[in-house]
Amino acid sequence: MTNAVRRVWPLVALTLLLTMIVAIASFAPDVLQRRTTQGLVNLVAVVGLYVFVGNSGVLSFGNVAFMAVGAYVSALLTMKAAAKSVFLPDLPSFIAALEWPTLPAALAGGIAAALLAFLVGLPLMRLSGISASIATFAVLVITYAVLGNWTSVTGGQNSLMGLPIYVGVWTGLGWAIAAIVVAFVYQESRSALLLRASREDETAAEASGVNVVRHRLIAFTISGFISGIAGVLLAHFLGTVRVETFYLDLTFLIVAMLVIGGMGSLTGAVLGAVVIAALTELLRQAEIGLTLGATTIAAPAGTGDAILALIMLLIIIFRPKGIAGGKEIGWPFGRSTP
Amino acid sequence: MSKGDPLLRVSGVAVRYGPIAAVRDVDLTVGAGEIVAIVGPNGAGKTSLLSAIAGIERPAAGTIEFAGRSLAGVVLEDIVTRGIALVPEGRHIFASLTVQENLMLGATTRGDGDAVRADMDRFFGTFPILGRRRQQPAGQLSGGEQQQLAIARALLSRPRLLMLDEPSLGLAPMMVDQAYAVLRSIRGSGVAILLVEQNAERAFALADRALVMNGGVFVLGGTPAELGAHPDFDAAYFGIGMQSEQAGR
Amino acid sequence: MIDRIIQTLVDALSVGGLYALTALGIGLIFGVMRLINFAHGELIMVTGYALLAAFALPLPLVLLFGFLAAIVLALVTERVAFRPLRNANPATLLISSFAVSFLLQKTLILFVDSRPKGIDFLPALGRQIEVVGVRLQILQLVIIAVSVVLLAALTWFLRATAVGLQMRAAAEDFRMARVLGVRANRVIAIAFALSGILAATVSCLVVAQTGIVQPRMGAQLVIIAFVGTVIGGLGSLTGAALGGFLVGAATILLQALLPPDLRVFREAFVFVAVTLVILFRPQGLIPARGLRERV
Repeated sequence: MTNAVRRVWPLVALTLLLTMIVAIASFAPDVLQRRTTQGLVNLVAVVGLYVFVGNSGVLSFGNVAFMAVGAYVSALLTMKAAAKSVFLPDLPSFIAALEWPTLPAALAGGIAAALLAFLVGLPLMRLSGISASIATFAVLVITYAVLGNWTSVTGGQNSLMGLPIYVGVWTGLGWAIAAIVVAFVYQESRSALLLRASREDETAAEASGVNVVRHRLIAFTISGFISGIAGVLLAHFLGTVRVETFYLDLTFLIVAMLVIGGMGSLTGAVLGAVVIAALTELLRQAEIGLTLGATTIAAPAGTGDAILALIMLLIIIFRPKGIAGGKEIGWPFGRSTP
Repeated sequence: MSKGDPLLRVSGVAVRYGPIAAVRDVDLTVGAGEIVAIVGPNGAGKTSLLSAIAGIERPAAGTIEFAGRSLAGVVLEDIVTRGIALVPEGRHIFASLTVQENLMLGATTRGDGDAVRADMDRFFGTFPILGRRRQQPAGQLSGGEQQQLAIARALLSRPRLLMLDEPSLGLAPMMVDQAYAVLRSIRGSGVAILLVEQNAERAFALADRALVMNGGVFVLGGTPAELGAHPDFDAAYFGIGMQSEQAGR
Repeated sequence: MIDRIIQTLVDALSVGGLYALTALGIGLIFGVMRLINFAHGELIMVTGYALLAAFALPLPLVLLFGFLAAIVLALVTERVAFRPLRNANPATLLISSFAVSFLLQKTLILFVDSRPKGIDFLPALGRQIEVVGVRLQILQLVIIAVSVVLLAALTWFLRATAVGLQMRAAAEDFRMARVLGVRANRVIAIAFALSGILAATVSCLVVAQTGIVQPRMGAQLVIIAFVGTVIGGLGSLTGAALGGFLVGAATILLQALLPPDLRVFREAFVFVAVTLVILFRPQGLIPARGLRERV
């Protein structure tokens, strides 16, 4: 009994942590609640990235593309027909007529993203390390280029507005917990275990009969699904979708969160999101400044971004495994003999 | 450095990789112009010992002196200026560069261009086949020719000590002949050679003195003739129980 | 009709030249350090802003300022950010260059701002002359000429000088080069300085062409040039230049050849081509030796 509890402990601990944060935030002013929701959305995105990167050891720059797909699919499904006729006059009529409820649309977004991940992953997962990372970068750029120019379906460079905004702190928390559960259940699975073995030594793993490509593909697809959900959440938090959002800046943010928190564990992914959310909040306050009487001392705009990049660099140089150091949250009650 | 002092003196050296001690406690001397062979099985610590002398690994214990000066803290790039040339395992010639360019790199630390050219011409004179392929990419040479090139390249820095790590590894017998031909050609030229080999037979044919290394220490030493006749030689080489105690000064 | 063909060709050659030079800057660093330097884009950016800052000075000083800015920044990033990571695995190096790139970009925005700024740099080059009966922009011809000259100069440097030989050796087998006495720090610093010169050249040409300086100006170039390096073969300088050239020229040619509806997707086409190359010939068109790990 104790062993099973201990195994599930990281999942429980992380869920409790997040629930606590959200509970506290729900008493805070609206502005802070919005920040918390944003943080939760980012958390889902980081967890999505982690599912692939953490287990396979291969860095992916393409997950933001999956977010984009999730966002746009959900947007197209949930926008009112009237709004669609305004923003997307050339949209094929069968899509234009659709008005789905939010949950099926969200799942559809996730599934669409997962599908893209699967199709793209079929050829890509054969590649090794760096080549695969470069290829995922290509996926990001291609998706950006296609979505940005497919004006009839996505509105091209223009924003799609008027999406139902249903993502608040509690919805965000719900989806965040769901993402963590999926990530956790997956990483305890045999497939993930084999994949992590291959991370250490690819040749040895293959020589042992492990089908590295297949397990990578599984991780990549699940990662795509979660990232797609993150995109859906972002879209229905902001109420608008714009292709520009899903490109280099967001990619950098998500990768930074994962690197700083620690690429090797789910705890790392969650910690990265939490820490960065707290940090950005602090820095934003600093940019707003402290008003003493008639003077305001404030950091110049953009300080936050620069500092985030600096921290990421310092972590890479001095603590490459990140804050969590590749480990999950430890069982706090010491070892006991079963 | 007074006459009679060894060129290379290694005392009590240990090399560790984390908790693993590849070299445990080694004393070694090589005299000027002497050819010393270190033989032993895989994993005996031979390469680690060479790495410590060459400055690739920092010894965890012990001292290394060359020509009377300590080698402590000397970086890999400076080893050549001290007079030590290393031919690492696997030849490591620059396949995309020409034979001539490979040789030129051996003279990286030398400033006397004319003498370098003279040395190169002399080498090509002794090994005309390589001379004919001067301008060809070194990757097109056979294994044996590449080994010759690697050795010649190392010699181009006019070292006082030439260290070789397993020159016969991965080469067919005829190619090993080619490699050892170069080594024999410099015998008596004043260049000391420290030769690490798994192939004891070859090494013994060339060396003045030989040591058997196993488990990070020298377990046997003497002239090749002595070792060849030694009852414990096989045991020492393969690490099976031995009667005599550790030797190798 | 002939006019259009020649114009398109000149366009393709000049854009290809710019991307070839950029790809070369990336390829040089990758060759000696196995690092894909995303921050190369910021070298281009910093020269642009240096030109802006020094604009009131006489032209030679403006250029000097621009080149120095890139070279100094290149050497500083090497010393501070990349040297500590010299033995890290390629994935770590990749992320770190990404981080450095962002750090530099955001820091610049901090001190200046993110709005594009106009600059009237070398306006004389904007004039047109007539060549074989076709009106061409002087700047484009200058770009082509500069690209060719710089490529030739770099090739000469690598093939005919001792330092160049050391760099080529270090690019193939870094450790062995060090065993022979080649100084690691010096070779890498020279590579970075050269990449700074290449970046500054590209920046001057681009600024003259577009008349705009903005924080993202280098990033776009580097992404495409990087793709070119991958196609041409990471670790091979000839490959990098060729790949950069092909990708650059391809964007122009696709623009000319694609039916109007699909023209906006030309970038997507280029990247699909990249992906195909990575899949079927991952070592690139002109692979470099010594890149594969052997068991």
